[in-house]
Amino acid sequence: MFHWLEKNPFFFAVAVFVVIAYAGIVTILPDFMNSARPVVGTKPYTVLQLAGRHAYIKDSCNACHSQLIRPFKSETDRYGMYSLSGEYAYDRPFLWGSKRTGPDLMRVGNYRTTDWHENHMLDPISVVPGSIMPKYTHMFSNPANIETAYAEAFTIKKVFNVPYDKADMPKLGTYEEATKMALAEAKPIVEDMKSPEVKAAFARGEIKEIVAIIAYLNSLK
Amino acid sequence: MNWLNDNVNLLGLLGAAAIIIITVFVVGKYIKQIKNEKSTGELVGEDWDGIGEYKNPLPIGWSLSFIGTMVWVLWYFLIGYPLGGYSQIGEYNEEVAAYNTKFESKWANPDEQTLLGMGEGVFLVQCAPCHGVTGDGINGKAADMSRWGTELAIVDTIVKGSKGMGYPLGDMPAGMLDKESATAVAAYVFEKIAKAGKSKNSDLVATGEALWPTCAACHGQDGKGMSGSSPNISNYGKPEFVVDVLNHGKKGDIGTMPSFNDGRLTDIQKLAVGKYVNSLIE
Repeated sequence: MFHWLEKNPFFFAVAVFVVIAYAGIVTILPDFMNSARPVVGTKPYTVLQLAGRHAYIKDSCNACHSQLIRPFKSETDRYGMYSLSGEYAYDRPFLWGSKRTGPDLMRVGNYRTTDWHENHMLDPISVVPGSIMPKYTHMFSNPANIETAYAEAFTIKKVFNVPYDKADMPKLGTYEEATKMALAEAKPIVEDMKSPEVKAAFARGEIKEIVAIIAYLNSLK
Repeated sequence: MNWLNDNVNLLGLLGAAAIIIITVFVVGKYIKQIKNEKSTGELVGEDWDGIGEYKNPLPIGWSLSFIGTMVWVLWYFLIGYPLGGYSQIGEYNEEVAAYNTKFESKWANPDEQTLLGMGEGVFLVQCAPCHGVTGDGINGKAADMSRWGTELAIVDTIVKGSKGMGYPLGDMPAGMLDKESATAVAAYVFEKIAKAGKSKNSDLVATGEALWPTCAACHGQDGKGMSGSSPNISNYGKPEFVVDVLNHGKKGDIGTMPSFNDGRLTDIQKLAVGKYVNSLIE
């Protein structure tokens, strides 16, 4: 064996790496496997929430807002319980962010509500004096992309075994069922909103981007 | 600039000079030793192509520190850092415990002014995003704190109803009484039930008392909410009433207020917010 390794420099290098990294492999990897499992109560996003998440990514919310609360008193006082890695189990990709121009949004669903988000997206300065966040009025006219969200959910269910349609987990079903569920989920949010444009569109069976992103933000707990 | 006037420079230069002199001396000594001296000593048995090795025992100090290092490594590996007690979360818990102890001892008996200051701080962080920095509710986006806690707000509540506090008896429907009767009841509640001071419509208190049974059906004869079945309005306009709303949250007609009983605020902070909100009443 050693004789063979000495004659094959590439495999020798691999063997050297394994020997040197051994301590890391036995201590770090099993811990990764453990902590990457979903925390009890963590559920995959529903189709509507996923559509909101797409809007979140599309408009680069993560460029200014982080989604990771570090275990420091100063952080948990302001944003809530520190984040656990298992809470990101269904985040593809995770949206930890690298910079807090705005506040952390990991648990924004605990302390902001639909009506607040509506006011804030229409005109941030009206509720947060001095805010430098731009207005996101286009979210009130753009339709939410339910089709793409369903495609993503369907794909991750098939490819990564994300537990849709399991007991106590969000239902996915066929595209028609998923659209119906998205509408049902959007209903209470639209009812809590004031925008006549959004309400009129919902009456026609359309879900605006703002509804989806509020569903997503409210789900962040 | 005179370099030698500065003590630090001077010391630095002296140190540099000392290092150079010592280096020259030590190197010179060894060079001389290499040139002139022949090595002596007892050889170990082996002889590799004419190259031998002296018996050269380890210095005691070196051996002791070597063994000491191995003992330390075992301690460090098993008990000290990686596999033993340390964790980031443990560190966090210690930080929080230390903070809480300090917080409790520092604010054990706060006076009125301290509470108001603390309440203002919490209000600006937690409440101002919806109720506004001045507590005016930002043009109807949330409850107006200057009106809240007055008789006018009681009239509002009776006429428009109140919902979403999550009490067992459910929501209070709108239009329980018309505006005139509501004003009378408000005067009665303000003066007799909440004992919040003299009512602006003192002459209506008797009329209000006659209408009180409508309210007492849910809130109880004494307004205390029949042991938790409905909101206790006997502390209306007092800090405790604010604390009640903070604990329950509210899903009202204007919007939804989340509850604040997830450990973000301590009891004393909630009371402080209550005091501060009360100070906003006009």
